[in-house]
Amino acid sequence: MSALGYYLLLAAFVGCAYAAAISVAGARRRSRALIESGTGAFYLVAAIMTAASSVIVYSFVTGDYSVKYVQRYSDSALPLFYKITSYWGGLDGSIMFWVFLLSLFGSVAVYINRERHRELIPYVVAVISVVEMFFLLLMVVHKNPFETFLTESPADGTGLSPLLQNFYMVIHPPTMYSGFVGLTIPYAFGMAALITGYLDDSWLRAVRRWTMISWLLLSVGLGLGMIWAYEELGWGGYWMWDPVENAGLLPWFTATAFLHSVMVQERRGMLRVWNVALVITTFLLTLFATFMTRSGIVTSVHNFGEDPVLTRLFTIFMVSTLVLSFGLVIHRMPLLRARNELDSWLSREAAFMFNNWILLFSAFFVLFATMFPTLSEAVTGERITVGPPFFNQWMIPLGLAMLLLTGIGPLLAWRKSALVNLRDQFLFPTASGLLVGGGVVALGVRVWSSGLCFAFAGFVLGTVAQEFWRGARVRQQTTGTDLFTALIGLVGRNKRRYGGYLVHVGIVLMFLGFAGEGFKQKQTVEVTPGQEITVRDFTVRFDALKVTDDGRKQMVTGETTVFRDGAELTRMYPARWYFRKHEDAPTTEVAIRRSFSEDLYIVMSDFDLAEQRASVEVVVNPLVNWLWFGFGMLAFGTFIALLPERAFAFADAKVPAGAATASLLLLALVLWPSAVLAQEVAPRVRFTELEERVRSEVMCTCGCRRSLTFCGMANCHGEADQMARLREYISQGQSHDQILASFVSDMGGEILMSPPDSGFNRLAWLLPYLLGAAGLVTIVVTARRWSRPVAVAGGADVMVDPALDARLDDELRDLD
Amino acid sequence: MSHKVAKIGATTLVLATVFGVLLYTTLGESMQYYKYVDEVAASPQAWEGKKLQVHGYVVPGSIGRKRDRLEYQFDIQRNGQTLRAYYTGVVPDTFKDEAEVVLTGALTPTGFMATEMTAKCPSKYEEAPNFSTAP
Repeated sequence: MSALGYYLLLAAFVGCAYAAAISVAGARRRSRALIESGTGAFYLVAAIMTAASSVIVYSFVTGDYSVKYVQRYSDSALPLFYKITSYWGGLDGSIMFWVFLLSLFGSVAVYINRERHRELIPYVVAVISVVEMFFLLLMVVHKNPFETFLTESPADGTGLSPLLQNFYMVIHPPTMYSGFVGLTIPYAFGMAALITGYLDDSWLRAVRRWTMISWLLLSVGLGLGMIWAYEELGWGGYWMWDPVENAGLLPWFTATAFLHSVMVQERRGMLRVWNVALVITTFLLTLFATFMTRSGIVTSVHNFGEDPVLTRLFTIFMVSTLVLSFGLVIHRMPLLRARNELDSWLSREAAFMFNNWILLFSAFFVLFATMFPTLSEAVTGERITVGPPFFNQWMIPLGLAMLLLTGIGPLLAWRKSALVNLRDQFLFPTASGLLVGGGVVALGVRVWSSGLCFAFAGFVLGTVAQEFWRGARVRQQTTGTDLFTALIGLVGRNKRRYGGYLVHVGIVLMFLGFAGEGFKQKQTVEVTPGQEITVRDFTVRFDALKVTDDGRKQMVTGETTVFRDGAELTRMYPARWYFRKHEDAPTTEVAIRRSFSEDLYIVMSDFDLAEQRASVEVVVNPLVNWLWFGFGMLAFGTFIALLPERAFAFADAKVPAGAATASLLLLALVLWPSAVLAQEVAPRVRFTELEERVRSEVMCTCGCRRSLTFCGMANCHGEADQMARLREYISQGQSHDQILASFVSDMGGEILMSPPDSGFNRLAWLLPYLLGAAGLVTIVVTARRWSRPVAVAGGADVMVDPALDARLDDELRDLD
Repeated sequence: MSHKVAKIGATTLVLATVFGVLLYTTLGESMQYYKYVDEVAASPQAWEGKKLQVHGYVVPGSIGRKRDRLEYQFDIQRNGQTLRAYYTGVVPDTFKDEAEVVLTGALTPTGFMATEMTAKCPSKYEEAPNFSTAP
């Protein structure tokens, strides 16, 4: 089975190469047949990747532990659900999942746009194929998920880390990945537009939806990650500016900026270079995010293995993408000239520009601060870090400015706002903001950032309410229906606009959650039964410590009773769970009591059964649930904006709004798809740093031709011999290099896993790159050869046909 | 055209300078040196009083804790050099003998006073989701 999987990957690689080469050839020769052949190969790759995915899932479900990847991330005791999702449990599988998603998304995008954007399609196919080829190359030469144990294979797997056996952890990585992968599509269309020179706004319309969908997935992915951190990790918060979290945030910033600046180009024909640059930057940031979290160039509490090969391959790919993409932008600069100039700073396009600057600056700042340790080490040789306070110091003002702009933007007119209108527009929202601000001050809120946040939130909500109210009133007068029907009809007519406003409401709700962070209180106490902890108006009494076992895990539970103002409120059970096979990594089970105004969050971090003693942390997190509501609202708003034309026909049929909302939510649930961050499992024996390093470099003598780390043979005596030898060298005080030299002198040069990096041996290192480069050269040469211009008389109008007229109509209707 | 370019150029320059200066000044307050135990232990005087993150491995058997308190005392080592460390608070799940830890705090003549502790998984998780007590 696993051999089949590997061949499927190879076939996909070849298919991509063919698709890329022949589409470009077809476009250059203006041959429909060639283009269709290329597109067909492109669809075929999606089919092959689906088959390959089925193979790996099949291996997981049937427990084929001869496949290393399966052996590492699952075991026979794992529930079926987690067996299937282990597909994206580790790096190798997640790369494959990435290609799988990309091939699917790409095929759908190409299929949908095959008529409307016919001139772009061949290059879209080529660009996506090349990206797929890169990831396939990674798998084929370096991270093959179908790699098997060459000799005897283990009877059972090592199992999935218990921390990842959690619903959110199952859907968070695939959601993030889908978002990342989805952002490749706009990039491919942007590149196609640059290559062909069809730089009118049509490529933008083709990718608008894709960007929105990807953005939604990215937002939901970030939200799920935050919920997971909050519920599982037990430190009372949800975001700590860890490099891995930041990595997901970077493309989110630029994608958000793009979604806004796109409107300026559609309406006013400005910011055209800017938009292309944003699409490219976003794509590069998705690559960079993967690279940053995988290569070990930043230190993170997410403990990634360092992988120099991956680092090099990624660096080469990113640098070439960067140079090629921006090179094309510069090459096409004359075609990207703006059609209009900015008329006034008091206009909506100006507000959008500020919005873009802030978002881009945020992305730049987060990137800078995340990379700071690496940068400082490169420049000064001294590794210097910056902590979360530094991020907060910058991101709080930036966030507040963004929030304020969210309210201001919709109130300004395109081109130029007349002063008279300004007063009319700003009166209600400003009053609402001031009212909330005043109320907050009167209530005695003394945290400036939170206070401002509340006032701005009032302002934005005022803006949104005013927009809905005014729009609905106008529609009610013109159509003569009741206000509610008019409201639904209004949203249906302008889904993007009003869906967007709902997203703004979601953002406001999220900011309420952030503001609550300023009032967080916590206390950590060591308690014995009967003792009490008081935080704000909650009193938590520790009652007892119990131990239970359910067969899969042992659970140590602290029983507590919560009182508020003297009255008993509820009982809560923070716990520590010890999963079988993972006893050395217990999970913290947080007890949370949720409410609209605050969460009571109890963690039992340590205990002593003999003395019935436990350390308990009690946290009161005000308003935190509004953050999750905000994510829900954001998703809902985006769905409205994404609905197809016909979806709002019911607005005229007077369907009860409840049914509409419920079906939308259902749709949202169904559509939440799935892609990947990796996690690995702890081996049972532990070694010192030096031992671990040598173990991965020295071969086992049992005949498996693997390093000591990966021998994996049951009762392998070769490993024991080598370890004894290694310990002896270490006890002689030898350094790492001396030890390797000793191994070579005792057992011959073949004992090392990888040839020393010198002279002829460098060829071994170069091979993967040569392979990749050869593939690329082949494509270019083939594409050029096949695409020698055909001397057909009147060939110029081959691409023009009646379908173009239909397309033109479509596009005109699309302009809102 | 050139007029416009000049305007954009000037705006960018001013903004870049302002933010650059702001970044630089705020950085100064929040910078922490990131050092391994052996680097710090080699010349402790040089590091006293500076904001510091120390990376090392917990010496087996060195973890001690005061009764009824969440006050820990332990040794961290790397390449044979050790450093005494103190920490008060909830320790991460993975804090134990031989764990790889990163401590944030300041060095004093008696030892390293940690205000924050992050522990990595003792073995090679490719991704061990964050085990942290920070902030």
